[in-house]
Amino acid sequence: MASFDIQMTVNGRPVKQSVSPHLRLLDFLREELHWTGSKEGCGAGECGSCSVFVDGVLMKSCLMPVAKAQHSEIETIEGLEEQGKLNVLQQAFQKTGASQCGYCIPGMMMAATAALRANPYAGREEIKERLGGNICRCTGYQKMFEATELARDVMNGKLTIELLKEEKEEGPFIGSNSFRIDTSSKVTGALKYAGDMVMPQMLHMQVLRSPYPHAEILELDTSEAEAMAGVEAVVTHRDVQGIDGFGVFTDDQPVLARGKVRYVGDAIAAVAAEDVLTAKEALKKIKVRYRELVAITKTEDAIKTGAVIIHDDVPDNIVMHIPIRKGNVDKGMAEADFVIEETYYTQPVEHAYLEPEAGLAYLDADGTLVIQSPSQNITHHRQKLAKILDMPVNRVRMIMSPVGGGFGGKEDMHYQGILALAVLKSRRPVRYVFTREESIIASAKRHPFSIKYQLGLNREGLIQASKIHMLADAGAYNCSTEGVMRKAAILAAGPYAIENLMVDAIGVYTNNTPSGAMRSFGAMQSQFATECHLDLCAEKLEMDPVELRRKNFFKEGDETHTRQELGSVSMLEVFNSALDLADWETGISNSRGATRSDLAQSGNRPPCTLGARQFPLETIPTGQAA
Amino acid sequence: MNAPLRIFPKQKRGRGVAAGWYGIARTATIDRAGAWAELDDGGTAKIITGVTEIGEGILTVLAQIVADELGIRPKDVTIGDNDTARSPEAAHAGATRQTYMIGNAVALACREARQRLVKELAQKWQVSEDDIICSNGIIRTLDHSQSMTMSEAVQYCKNRGVVPVGSGSFTANHTGLDPENGSGNPWQAYVYGAQVAEVEVDTETGEVQVLGVWASHDVGRAVNPQGVEGQIEGGVVMAVGQTLMEDYKQEEGYPTSMNLAKYILPTSLDVPQVNSVIIEDPDPLSPLGVKGIGEPSMIPTAPAIINAIYDAVGVRIHSLPATPEKVLAALREKRERADTHEMLA
Amino acid sequence: MLYYDQYHVPETLDEAFDLIHTNGGNYKVLAGATDLLPWAREGRGGDVNYESVIDISKINDLSKWQLQGNRINLGANVTISQLLNNPFLRKHIPVMAKSAVWFADDQIREQATLGGNLVNASPAADATPPMLAMNAELTLERKQKGKIIQRKLPLDEFLTGPGKTRLEAGELVTRVECDSMLGYGSAFEKVGHRRSLVLSTVCLAALVSLSDDGQEFEDVRLALGGVGPVPIRLKESEACLISQPIDSDLIDKSAVLAVKHVQSRTRQEYRREVVYNFVKRGILGACKDLNTTFADIDTDMKHRGNYG
Repeated sequence: MASFDIQMTVNGRPVKQSVSPHLRLLDFLREELHWTGSKEGCGAGECGSCSVFVDGVLMKSCLMPVAKAQHSEIETIEGLEEQGKLNVLQQAFQKTGASQCGYCIPGMMMAATAALRANPYAGREEIKERLGGNICRCTGYQKMFEATELARDVMNGKLTIELLKEEKEEGPFIGSNSFRIDTSSKVTGALKYAGDMVMPQMLHMQVLRSPYPHAEILELDTSEAEAMAGVEAVVTHRDVQGIDGFGVFTDDQPVLARGKVRYVGDAIAAVAAEDVLTAKEALKKIKVRYRELVAITKTEDAIKTGAVIIHDDVPDNIVMHIPIRKGNVDKGMAEADFVIEETYYTQPVEHAYLEPEAGLAYLDADGTLVIQSPSQNITHHRQKLAKILDMPVNRVRMIMSPVGGGFGGKEDMHYQGILALAVLKSRRPVRYVFTREESIIASAKRHPFSIKYQLGLNREGLIQASKIHMLADAGAYNCSTEGVMRKAAILAAGPYAIENLMVDAIGVYTNNTPSGAMRSFGAMQSQFATECHLDLCAEKLEMDPVELRRKNFFKEGDETHTRQELGSVSMLEVFNSALDLADWETGISNSRGATRSDLAQSGNRPPCTLGARQFPLETIPTGQAA
Repeated sequence: MNAPLRIFPKQKRGRGVAAGWYGIARTATIDRAGAWAELDDGGTAKIITGVTEIGEGILTVLAQIVADELGIRPKDVTIGDNDTARSPEAAHAGATRQTYMIGNAVALACREARQRLVKELAQKWQVSEDDIICSNGIIRTLDHSQSMTMSEAVQYCKNRGVVPVGSGSFTANHTGLDPENGSGNPWQAYVYGAQVAEVEVDTETGEVQVLGVWASHDVGRAVNPQGVEGQIEGGVVMAVGQTLMEDYKQEEGYPTSMNLAKYILPTSLDVPQVNSVIIEDPDPLSPLGVKGIGEPSMIPTAPAIINAIYDAVGVRIHSLPATPEKVLAALREKRERADTHEMLA
Repeated sequence: MLYYDQYHVPETLDEAFDLIHTNGGNYKVLAGATDLLPWAREGRGGDVNYESVIDISKINDLSKWQLQGNRINLGANVTISQLLNNPFLRKHIPVMAKSAVWFADDQIREQATLGGNLVNASPAADATPPMLAMNAELTLERKQKGKIIQRKLPLDEFLTGPGKTRLEAGELVTRVECDSMLGYGSAFEKVGHRRSLVLSTVCLAALVSLSDDGQEFEDVRLALGGVGPVPIRLKESEACLISQPIDSDLIDKSAVLAVKHVQSRTRQEYRREVVYNFVKRGILGACKDLNTTFADIDTDMKHRGNYG
């Protein structure tokens, strides 16, 4: 392959190197110069984790062929510190707690820097627009806005630099806003995530994934890939020495497909090679012959009699059914003055942590298998891997690398097993970094639910009976489905005292992308239905929805839906304090937005009308008529 | 005669409220976490535990807990890497469990380490162990008659052949659910939350903007209030995404939203101002009284927004996400229903 | 992933044409690269391999613009950011700036070019409807037997389908010419699923000029994007307003006439309603932009249910 001589200045230092011309500026910075502060979150200009200054202009380095940056001056997150000390903006991020997982921070800091360079007096709406190309999944952006405003005011001398100091030097510290102890590693770009790590002799892994939702694998021939120069290992299920299978609750997922694929993206084989390109080429040489099977993609089809079986040991396709029964629901409904029904639906949701999955695995000097990855559950993964590899537990060592966001999506052991097989076969360090596309199709989603809701109430608004039937799509593997069904069921009826209750949460296998753990784990879905339904009921009862809730809230000593006696219950206090904070106007009916008196007070942001900064009203360039 | 052109706004505002509850730590099964602590040279502390910093700030929370337990400062605390070959099990990062489970385990470990150190000093100073207090890097007797720095105290201990170390194991005694009727004690600590949302709905495009969210959450005890706010703000915004735009789509099993141009996440221009109030109803069953906030923060947001949309324009959206298409379709149906009603009347 | 062995950065058009000539068939011309790199990925174009990439963004002549009579002549390399921020361009073609503020984000606008956005021929391209409304004409050039061959094509003829144009092999779009809109009021309406980095579900450019007494439409230009294979000019909707009084019934009629142009594969019902609303909103917004005074008209035009 041809090479290209590139010359530029990076963070004030001249750089001259001969590189493959197809590299992007981001690849050049990260892989050639090892300035790994700039991150790759999507590779398509959609997230901003890679934002850097090119000749003073903020750009997305994943969208820039390196040759475009020829002879330019590049500034990255690593160049922000001043004489080894955090600059004002970095200190402001520290002061406001604006970094969480830290993966978006290198790009976000550059965008905030760009905002203040463009306009040192930028207001909040302008700052928001300037940060509009940078996604953060952890913080909700609020503290980033605050940090940028704080830095602006300190730099303008409007606020004193003393304000950037930690609020407390003396204990007690619980209850105080101590600085995050990982801030400086994140606002300087120094922290190494798994995809930033390198080792001598390191190989790069790529994974062949199923193009079909449901298919039998008739033939899997890797010989041609294995014969390629630069390919050090090709692994398939045949390389598994122990008992294959992993999962959070049941071990229904093989490390690599075993005779069958169950969703688009199911891993089949992997190649570890000297570079990513060779590994990708080798994947194309692996021959797989499939026989397509009927794919089940709707939950209601999965539970029909005679439906195609997705896992042989689960003939009814039901992963887990959690029932909760209390009192007599039929009697409760019969005696209720109102019985109100509705069906609610939630969609599958991607965690979209900014750090796509990545791992670096190697053999220790003593032969212990070491896997570094942003796993949310390394102890569990170690146990599973020891079983799969037939190795003593203490010969498998998992190290948690910094986690660039997880939200439940990094609880599953989707790739650590594949890395292990590749290391054991090649006897060399192996790194595997997912693309965003791979991360999205291969990793588990939030379970989509359909929820049939029936609530019986008396005239006064007291709940007499509740019947909730939930059907959730578990996708191709169990992952955390069992736990999600349990939590959905236990919490579904909400923080309300209910005597007669019938709750069912059923998770079923389909050939969709697996569903798994995601922040709020089933309870988000089930309580979405409950809280929407209560407003619907309040309208039918011509009651204030606030009052309806207050009448039914749990109190200390009440029995929960699972018949647990509650201790202290803060529900009413919490509820009232939210209403007080919002200055909520009480009222009987719903749909009274037009007549409310409590709108648009403090605590709101203005509606976004793009271009406030480009078109300040007094300078709108308009026609001669103006 | 001529008047400035007035354009009647097609945007309508409304508000909604929702409540929610959540259980802390692993569900319907016993939960456990272990930790090791050492009061180290220079009056610092070394903590080893299988903790996962996932971005929520758990390392900082632990450092604050350690500082208070040992009478030092958070910056004096070093927390070891999470490594199955080097650190005790503290189980997973999930279930809103780390502050509760690992926080308490670390507190217990610190208490044991501190007790080792205090015992030596109590002997030296001829006072009861209860009469010794540690704060801000100083160890002293209650009556101020004796004191030394924590650094000196650690050295004193070591000179007497004692390394001030401790370990802690914290258990949450949850029970499984009955397979028939679901009865059981799935958690020992519960938290509650409530949120108000204010929206603006564009009746010509169906777009919904969430302008403000007012959130109140019981967290037991806020170790780092700013960190709690950060979790609430992040949870609310994640829920705003799910409520209005995020949708992982598949057609007959084939994913069709496999990049971030198709899978739409909230940007800085899509998020509400989030206003938080933290309620502290301490957990009586654990040493620290802390509970948690990570997951419960996003429970009330979606229904609060959906209820606010109804308040604004009188349509109920029953399926997430409430995209502009869905909202406009619902408005159309409502209009058509009203027209039919008019015709019949 | 996008692979190539050679990356060429010509500094003149001549050099570019020479490179096109020497590279035979297996080359790709890029300017900003902001569409090409995301396209060469899994689920879209996949792994894409070219022998050569010819980056025309450093051809300085193509970054310039000038006023020629009442037409603005823009080089194809003018960036979206320049359309947004340059005072001269904002004065003459302000609707471009109003569309540019919706275009991707600050950073991509710095790199992405006007020519690239038009050649890319996305049905939802934000730059296209304003350019259609301003009667844009493209200059296409190629070199044959040592001679530059130039032709001009109106933008609406240039675009033929999603990702499809009349650009011929070896040909480059070098310039974009459009009307100066001095004297017009303008509006750009867009809806997607969020407020930044967002694809248009529907977008509309509206340009209006009024009679001296401000009582009549002198000229009306409307163009739509996102609703079919190519963005389109709404001639019928325009015609029913030109030289007519500013009247809510006529504006409504104009909006109704626009609806039938929705020919997208999905979300038709939604798009029809938004198109109807956007035409009304765009016309009124463009009138308001002129900041003149009118007889008070009924702008609270209720849905009349007859747009479909």
